[in-house]
Amino acid sequence: MCDDCGCVSPGHHHVVDVNQSLLAANDALARKNREHIEELGAVAINLISSPGSGKTTLLEKTIERLAKEFRIGVIEGDIETERDADRIRAKGVPVVQLTTGGACHLDAALTHKGIHALEDQLGEKKLDLLFIENVGNLVCPATFYLGEHQRVVMISVPEGPDKPAKYPKAFISSQVFIISKTDLLPYFDFSPEAAIKDARQLNPRLMVMSLSATTGDGFDSWLAYLRSLCQ
Amino acid sequence: MHEISLVQGLLKQLALLAAEHGSKSVSKVRLEVGPHSGIVIDSFKFGFEVLAAEIDLTRHARLEIVIPPLRYKCCYCGHVRQTERLPETCSQCAKTLLVPDGGDGLILLQVEME
Repeated sequence: MCDDCGCVSPGHHHVVDVNQSLLAANDALARKNREHIEELGAVAINLISSPGSGKTTLLEKTIERLAKEFRIGVIEGDIETERDADRIRAKGVPVVQLTTGGACHLDAALTHKGIHALEDQLGEKKLDLLFIENVGNLVCPATFYLGEHQRVVMISVPEGPDKPAKYPKAFISSQVFIISKTDLLPYFDFSPEAAIKDARQLNPRLMVMSLSATTGDGFDSWLAYLRSLCQ
Repeated sequence: MHEISLVQGLLKQLALLAAEHGSKSVSKVRLEVGPHSGIVIDSFKFGFEVLAAEIDLTRHARLEIVIPPLRYKCCYCGHVRQTERLPETCSQCAKTLLVPDGGDGLILLQVEME
C-alpha cells in the first residue's frame, strides 16, 4: 500500500517529494568511517591530486621524517596494481592497497573496507596519522567525503598554475593546498603567486605550502602542520 | 566520470522508492545539481540515458535537472550576492574574502511514478 494516499491500485500516478542528497548514503558511511578512524586514535588526511603530482613520494618522505614520532598508516587508492602500497610497505608502515577496478575515485564504502583491512594488520595497535592517498584525479575524488579530518589538494610545478581555476571543487573542499616539485621551478613557466591567488579566491581559508619532496625544501612547514594535527 | 557511480546510486534509490509506493514505472526524476557540486551535467545525463534504459522501472523516465543560482558570501560583512561568476570583491564592503554560499548539493527533489 502506498504511504502518501493509501491506494493499492496499480497505475496510480505518484508524485513523491524526496529532497535527499544523492550522496546521503556515501556521507552516512563516511561519518561511520570517521568514528572508526577516531577509535584507532588517528587523524585522517585525504590526499587528492592528478596522477604523477608526487603523492606517493610525499608520503614516502613524510614517513622517513615522522615514523619515529608518530604511528602512521596508509590507505592507497588506485585503479589497478599494488605498486604504491609496495613503495609504502618498504618504509615499514602498515598499508592497504585499494584497487577500484576502473572507478576514478575512492568512496566511503571502499574506504570502509580499507580501514578494516588496516585494522587486521594493526591488531591491538593504534595509529596517530592515517593517510588516504586517493586515485590520481583532480576532479572526481573531490565529490566524495571519505570520513577524513583534513583534505589536502596538491599540484606539481610541471602541471601548470591554472589548475585551481580549472578544477575548483578540489580546492573549495580542501583545507590545505600544496605546490609540489618546487625544485623544478627554474625549468617551467609556473607562477606560484598566480596559482595561490586563484586558489585563495576560491577558498580564502586554504592553508598553502610549497615544497620539494626530493630536496626537502619547504618540507618543514608540512611536517609542522602534521605535528599540529597530532597534538 | 564519477557521474556514472552517482547515476548508479540514483537508480538504486529509485528502485527503493518504487517498491515503497508499489510503482512499476518511473516517469520523471527531478534533480538539483549545484554549480559547485563538481558534476558535469552532460556526463550525468549521458550516464542516466544509458543506465536507466537497461532497467524496466526507469526505461521511460525523463530526467529534469534544476540548477540553483551561484551565490557568494562575504566573510567580513556576510553579504550574499547572486552572480554569474566568482566576483573579485564584495559589492557591499569591497573586501575580497568571498566564499561560495551553498550550491554544492546534488539533490533528488521529486520523483513521479506510475
